[in-house]
Order: sequence, then structure tokens, then C-alpha cells
Amino acid sequence: MTVPGHEEDRLAARLAGDIHGLFGRSLHIRTIDTGSCAVCESEIRLLLAPHYDLHRLGLFFTPAPRHADLLMVTGPVVRVMELPLAKTYAAMPEPKLVVAVGACPLGGVFDEDEIVRGRLDQVLPVDVFIPGCPPSPLALLQGLLVAVGRLAEKVGALSFVAGEETSK
Amino acid sequence: MALWFFRGLGRQVVTTRYPSVLDPWTAALPTPPSFVPSRLTTELVHRLVESCPSGALRQEDRELVLDVGACTACGTCQRIAPDAITASGVFELAATSCAHLVKRVPIRGGDK
Repeated sequence: MTVPGHEEDRLAARLAGDIHGLFGRSLHIRTIDTGSCAVCESEIRLLLAPHYDLHRLGLFFTPAPRHADLLMVTGPVVRVMELPLAKTYAAMPEPKLVVAVGACPLGGVFDEDEIVRGRLDQVLPVDVFIPGCPPSPLALLQGLLVAVGRLAEKVGALSFVAGEETSK
Repeated sequence: MALWFFRGLGRQVVTTRYPSVLDPWTAALPTPPSFVPSRLTTELVHRLVESCPSGALRQEDRELVLDVGACTACGTCQRIAPDAITASGVFELAATSCAHLVKRVPIRGGDK
């Protein structure tokens, strides 16, 4: 992204990195439903319950995309929601993060057709994918902390091979 | 809420982290399958691919490809072959790239 020798670009990249580091302690989240069955929303809402208590981690939900640093997208990206999705993304200030929540925006439930786009990464640059149908609140919490760099990703190192041949 | 804050401060309990020890009930969460390669046969894999409702499984030569992102952890494949497929028990599946979610399992069983 940065061109060596261009001082402004280097400074801008460093500033973006610094802000990304600050996200770890203060992040405002906007959720957008692109045609999901609302179970993912139900799980997202549970993040605010005392058991998970999102606020203790410095993460907050905001109703305005202009105040948001992170966009949580649920649902299979219905084509009628493409424009609202693009407007929401455009309204968010830079730097911004996008998290795809559930199996729908990862292409698991609906294939691309004339009604749905099927995959979110065809529409927006996605930073973190959270699989699950629905992902449990704890899985969402882990995904959010992976997005802000407070936790390391786990699934990349797993093989999903069981039994005697795990070592191979 | 303020009382809890001061209680935590007094006992030096840090609550601004991801839980270091997971609650026991998380073991009951539905999780994607994990496979025993020596018990997978091409015939069984064909049946699994046919029956997967979310299209998370596909066969490529002598490999079974599992797209963890597309898997809804419904348990259909575990019911078809309970001796070859078990729940992986991993629910913290967040990935920074789609490619990290595609898993390849060799088919080592039976028929050649």
C-alpha cells in the first residue's frame, strides 16, 4: 500500500496503525442485517447481557455508522440491501473494520442468485470471518477481539482431523 | 454497577479480558465436525457430500474438503457416520482470511 520514499504515505500508514491499536480499548460497533433470520442478531444482542458484558472490554454498539469503527454484517447479502450496505460502509470514518457474522455471509446457506449475493467478501473487504449458525456470543466476542488484535486467530492452525492420525 | 467495580478493584480482579477458562456449558455448543481419515472411504465421502445441507463438504481426488465457514454444525454428517466423524469441540472459529477456513482431510479408508 505504501510507496517507499513518500513521507505522507508512510505517516498515514503509521497513523492508521496507531488508531488500529487504540481500537483495542475503545471500539464502536454498527450492525447491519442483510436478510438474516435474526438469530445472529439475537446472539449479538446477548453480548450486552451481564454474562458477557461487552462494555467491560471497551466495545460499544452505536446506532450511527458515522460513529462506528467496525461493521458487523449478518445475513446472505440480499441484493436489495446492497445499496444500504454500501452507504453504511461509505459513511463510516477511516480506518474501519468489517466483520462477517454467521454462515450466511460466508456463503454457507444461500448460493448466489438473482435475490442474494451469497458472499460478503464479493461486496466489501472483510477483515474477520466468524463462522457458526449462529455463532455463540463467546465466538462473536473472540471474533471481535481478533479484529482489534487483542486475541490471535485459532482456526487457521486447526486441521479438523480426529483420532489416531491427528499428528499427520 | 459501581459497587461491583470497586469490589473488583479491591480484589484486583481483572475483568477486561477474554475469559481465560471457558465455562463448562461451552462443551455443549454445536461445533463443526472433525474426521478420522482412516475410516473415510470414497463411497462414504460421496454420501456425506450429497447429504450436507449447507454445501460445506466437497470431494477433490483423495481429499475431503471442509469449508468451516459454510458449515452450520447441524450434525447431519455425524449422524451418518458416527464412528468416522465426531464434533471437533472448537467454537472459537474467527478467521482473518477465508482461506484459513478451508480444511483438507485425506481419505485413507478402504476401497481403492
